[in-house]
Amino acid sequence: MNDDAGNPFAELLEEYVAECAPLAQAVGDTLVTLERRWEEGDPADQLFGTLKGSLHTLKGNSAMLGLTAIQALAHCMEDVCAFLGERPDLRPAASGLLLRGAGVLVEMVGRAARGPLSADRSEHFISEAREFIQAESVGTETSAPYPERRRFERRTGSEVGELGSDGVVSTIRVDARRLDGLLETFGETMIAGLGLREAVRDLAIRHRGAGFTDLEHALTSLEKTLKRLEGALMATRLVSIATVFGRFNLLVREVANAHEKRVGLVTSGGETQLDKTVIDRLGEPLVHLVTNAIIHGLESPAERERSGKPSEATVTLSAVQRSDRVILTVTDDGRGLDPERILHKARQLGAVAADATPSREEVFAMAFLPGLSTTERVSALAGRGVGLDVVANSIRTLGGSIEVASEPGKGTKFTMSLPLTLAVLRSLLVAVDGERYALPLGDVAESLRVTNEAIHEIDGHGMMLWRGQVIPVSDAAEVLGGSARASRNYCVVVRSGARRRGMLVDGLLGHQDVVVKALDPSLGRPPTISGATILGDGRVACILDTARFAELRATEASTATLS
Amino acid sequence: MSAKPVFLVVDDSRLHHQMYMLVFAKGALAGSTLLHAKNGREGYALFTTHPEIEMVFLDLNMPEMNGLEFLERRRSENLHPHIPVVLVTTEDSAEDEARGRAAGAWEYLRKPFTPAQLTELVERARARGVRT
Repeated sequence: MNDDAGNPFAELLEEYVAECAPLAQAVGDTLVTLERRWEEGDPADQLFGTLKGSLHTLKGNSAMLGLTAIQALAHCMEDVCAFLGERPDLRPAASGLLLRGAGVLVEMVGRAARGPLSADRSEHFISEAREFIQAESVGTETSAPYPERRRFERRTGSEVGELGSDGVVSTIRVDARRLDGLLETFGETMIAGLGLREAVRDLAIRHRGAGFTDLEHALTSLEKTLKRLEGALMATRLVSIATVFGRFNLLVREVANAHEKRVGLVTSGGETQLDKTVIDRLGEPLVHLVTNAIIHGLESPAERERSGKPSEATVTLSAVQRSDRVILTVTDDGRGLDPERILHKARQLGAVAADATPSREEVFAMAFLPGLSTTERVSALAGRGVGLDVVANSIRTLGGSIEVASEPGKGTKFTMSLPLTLAVLRSLLVAVDGERYALPLGDVAESLRVTNEAIHEIDGHGMMLWRGQVIPVSDAAEVLGGSARASRNYCVVVRSGARRRGMLVDGLLGHQDVVVKALDPSLGRPPTISGATILGDGRVACILDTARFAELRATEASTATLS
Repeated sequence: MSAKPVFLVVDDSRLHHQMYMLVFAKGALAGSTLLHAKNGREGYALFTTHPEIEMVFLDLNMPEMNGLEFLERRRSENLHPHIPVVLVTTEDSAEDEARGRAAGAWEYLRKPFTPAQLTELVERARARGVRT
């Protein structure tokens, strides 16, 4: 048997990963718990049994698919477990070894569907494990180094759950690309529907509304059906965020150990669901935030004790759905951000005027500026020289926003708001210089009619009074790279976190659900455009990145004040 | 046999159910009906109500009720003793296989198995008239 495509079940590789990746992850999670319990002197036999059961299943499944390297790795971990079954005294000493194995296992299983696997890391683990068993077997009374005593432990919970009680498969897995294709087709159908709606409206206007009632009704019913279809389609793409959270147990432990921190991870809201595309692209920014929190945010156990905190720090990952968005937070109870330091750096970078006195929130928002990393040290394991600006960018590409709050000495909390789906956007259509633009409705605080007198020119920047607060105002054309016009009739107040900013436009064209199309990156685009859409008349409209607009212009304004 | 042959698969792994579906979709076994159960308890319920089952593929390690418990219960109740049950094990479980046979398993199938090995088992049972 080898890892080639000659395996009779090769077509089930994706299914293998779908079933075994969570199982490998569970092996890691279980070991993290076991390590703690063993250190406390609790043999935790039942949990240990669960671990052995998972390894056994992984071994069998890998064997069926001809994934011999993974099979050997799982088998070897089973051997270590069997050895530890005889020698409970060695369990605490062996947990590190097993966790390393679990790390390799998670990685290899996750990669299994993407071509042939290299056995380097698994073989390295296997020789390490053999050495461990051999070294510990010398001079002991135990007879065999590989005691083969497998019991039939009952496993709690079920990894299947998708089979109905009548024995009929009630869930099927579908290739994600097919779902993408379906979504694409749905988008085109929706655009065609919009076209139809415009054509009917034109007809009705031209014929003064006579005799089109049936057509109107049919169209309305079609639109309702499309709406339901959209809901159903989106629901098939939802994946629970637990799949992302699941990676963090091992990671937190690994990073904490490497940096001599003691950290407990708490997660909540793992059942919250998000579009698959969002889930796929969320892992990386979250990994950065969590590793940053551990390395830079958390104090050493000794330091924590001196300041009266529990020596074990806590990092919390949480998710909760709020209407059509999901709010994700990464919280730590570490030393908190230092506003003085951020401000100092921002001044050095020329991102803020030397004499400006920004509020605390404004200072924290500067942490996301490019080049502003609060530590000089780049960590090999986690820092990777990646700053918060990169994290913020990834979140923005997902149509989300991020902000940070911090209490010196108490901790830091990053809050991200993400759309449930990336495919259809509830938008406000506006007109600027004869072009139409779509603004994400979720970012619009208010749209109102304005007169020239309402806009005050201060230091070359527009300001206006809105709901009792002074907010900056910019002309839409200026933001989009054109030149500002003398007067516009409307102002759209957009928000990003606590920020508000007015955008002056010629007209408001109403709410519309638009199908988001990614822009070809080779075309180049102003940073304030996040994508494009096709409207009912077949013309293209750009989608404005309102969050970006609110933030980008604010810093530009500060820089401009310098000169 | 004029009616479609019926097989029961008892396994807690979705992946394995799909493997059986692949095997039973082509070749000599094409056209068979597969009953699926995700643990011994569900499997036993289907086994009780489907006397027409030609053969059972029973995984050893499962939650709720494992393969050995399935076999032991079946023997104590003397339920459909003519239906051959194949215990599905992994390479290094000779001891388990012995216990399985003692508990009434007709044969065992070791993972990793190939479609040919599985088909051969079915044909062997038919040839010997294990089930008439």
